[in-house]
Amino acid sequence: MKALTELFDRIVQRVNINLRELAFDVRPFVKDLVPFNQLVKFYAFYGITPHHPLDFQFRHSNLAGSYFLGKCRTTNSILYKSDIRGDELKKKGDIFQYPGFEIPVSKDEGIRIEDSFLIKTLVHNYSHDPETLEKFFITNTVSTHYANIHGSPTDGSYLGPFSTVDLTTMNDCVIGAFSYVQASEISHLNIEPGTVWVRSPNNFNFLYRYPLDKLSHYIHFAAGAPPQGLLMDFVEDRKEAFQRVFEKVNIEQVSVPKSASLDRFAVLKPKTHISDNVLVAQRAFLQNAWMGKGANAQENCYIINARLEGFNVTAHGAKIIEADLGQNVFVGFNSFLRGRPDCRLTIGKDSIIMPHTIIDIKEPLKIPPDHLVWGLVTCAADLETHSISLKALSKINDAFSLGSMFFEGSGNSFVTAFRDRIHHILEANGALYDGMKNKGHAQKNQNISFNTIQPYPEGELKGVYPTIIIRP
Amino acid sequence: MEKYLVRDLMVPLSEYATVHVGSTLFDAVLALEKAQEEFDHTKYKHRGVLILDKKNRVIGKLSHLHTLRALEPKHDDVNGIKELGQFGFSAKFVRSLRKQQRRQGAPLEDLCKKAMMLKVEEFMHITAEDEFIDHQATLDMAIHQLVQEKLLSLMVTQDGNTIGILRLADVFAAVYHAMKECTI
Repeated sequence: MKALTELFDRIVQRVNINLRELAFDVRPFVKDLVPFNQLVKFYAFYGITPHHPLDFQFRHSNLAGSYFLGKCRTTNSILYKSDIRGDELKKKGDIFQYPGFEIPVSKDEGIRIEDSFLIKTLVHNYSHDPETLEKFFITNTVSTHYANIHGSPTDGSYLGPFSTVDLTTMNDCVIGAFSYVQASEISHLNIEPGTVWVRSPNNFNFLYRYPLDKLSHYIHFAAGAPPQGLLMDFVEDRKEAFQRVFEKVNIEQVSVPKSASLDRFAVLKPKTHISDNVLVAQRAFLQNAWMGKGANAQENCYIINARLEGFNVTAHGAKIIEADLGQNVFVGFNSFLRGRPDCRLTIGKDSIIMPHTIIDIKEPLKIPPDHLVWGLVTCAADLETHSISLKALSKINDAFSLGSMFFEGSGNSFVTAFRDRIHHILEANGALYDGMKNKGHAQKNQNISFNTIQPYPEGELKGVYPTIIIRP
Repeated sequence: MEKYLVRDLMVPLSEYATVHVGSTLFDAVLALEKAQEEFDHTKYKHRGVLILDKKNRVIGKLSHLHTLRALEPKHDDVNGIKELGQFGFSAKFVRSLRKQQRRQGAPLEDLCKKAMMLKVEEFMHITAEDEFIDHQATLDMAIHQLVQEKLLSLMVTQDGNTIGILRLADVFAAVYHAMKECTI
């Protein structure tokens, strides 16, 4: 495995060079985090559909257990059980809207991953950087378990476990565990674990930081050991269910409505109900889940003993357990919402659960309709400092703070931006399909053929996939 | 003017306020008061206290600003208001939060009482290599060093030992007099 070892060393060195200003050494964090023998064990797979360009290039990379859809290229990289989902990339001829500009897209956009090590990471959406419209790049970067790189061209950075960078161009940054950043453009920042930061320059700025002593119960990552905490235990406990769907080439079909999509790499446990226009992505886990019309479960989502009334967005990595969600409830990335069988969590319609929210209750809790909720909520009293009605927030025009949350700017712009985005996600996912119009992922991703690819089984190149170019 | 040497303008260590490492901020304030009383009243007043190690070597300096920092309620900043600037929050918002925090925090008197007992080494500026100059160096060399490194004073050495302090105010006074002589 000489080539694989050299590849790993090369990536680590490149990331460290970029992060030298922050004096951050990525090596102790990732050394032995994924044993090299694991990298040889798993095949990679790519999807073929008539709806997405078929254009894959894999060069000098390890792709163990990873999934590719759309136009993707990897060079000198290691991708371990990662999802590179290029089904929202821009297409040739699209017009990219940017304040003051309407920029035509000259060729199909592609995801380019170079000199990077991604572990169980989701890459999705499209580049929101007007300077790099046709290239969604991820270079000289290390990301760890269940990180999301969402519409965020990234260079020279490190992402901790369960972190998310969303619609942000990022250069030379460290993103701590369970941090969520949506800030348009950032560079040379070291973001502490448990930071939730949503900034639209000149419009609004939202910041919440978890108390680290409490966050460590859920996720904690220190050099020399794998990520630890309840979030890791939760997914590890359900790992076996996924082994069955990944081991079999042909899996028995589960009947779902014609307008719905259930990915063959999702886990569907008994008593689950799928309504029209529902989208269940790969690596989603549903058990005794009632999915109302247009609801979705994206990658790494877990919906267990829960009822979603309809048009619910459950963003990448979110977990909903023992809960009842009204219509149009949005649950942001990597949120962990856990009621108990004898004390359920109820969320009123049209509420927005901010990305990276933890609601973990031991008494019944009702969140009223039309509310914004963030941070760590363990009882009803916590809601006083971790929620606000959307109506009240819309009236904010200056600044305010509540508990550990700080907000500055236009509350109305903030609420409108979220509402618009939720609508866009529902539209893109096919939740609004009427049998004729508004086709989205739920309808387009129904028939995907999967092909598998494998690395050299032994010798110096053991673990490295041969150069593969796949075109129509 | 370049014929001036650093040793001609420096304040000897014996005339400057000094305390040893391990002293409290209150000790430092008393030392400063005493040195100011004894110092030549026609000259600029001392504005700092030098911190000496056990072998009487200068290892740091405590200025007015360093002393005032001890009054900052850093342990009360549980919400990390200090760091909001890096997240793009406006200075106006940060100031209003600080004001709010101050109102809820301990009164200034209590903060002073608390600060009195804190150790000087917690707040002092540790002198770096570029803050030392030989006693025989010329004034133009000293000016260059002060300007280049943006310093308020230089530690003056002789045979490796600190023997005094060259203050920006004294250098400025020398330059000012030289300028006046030129115009006459």
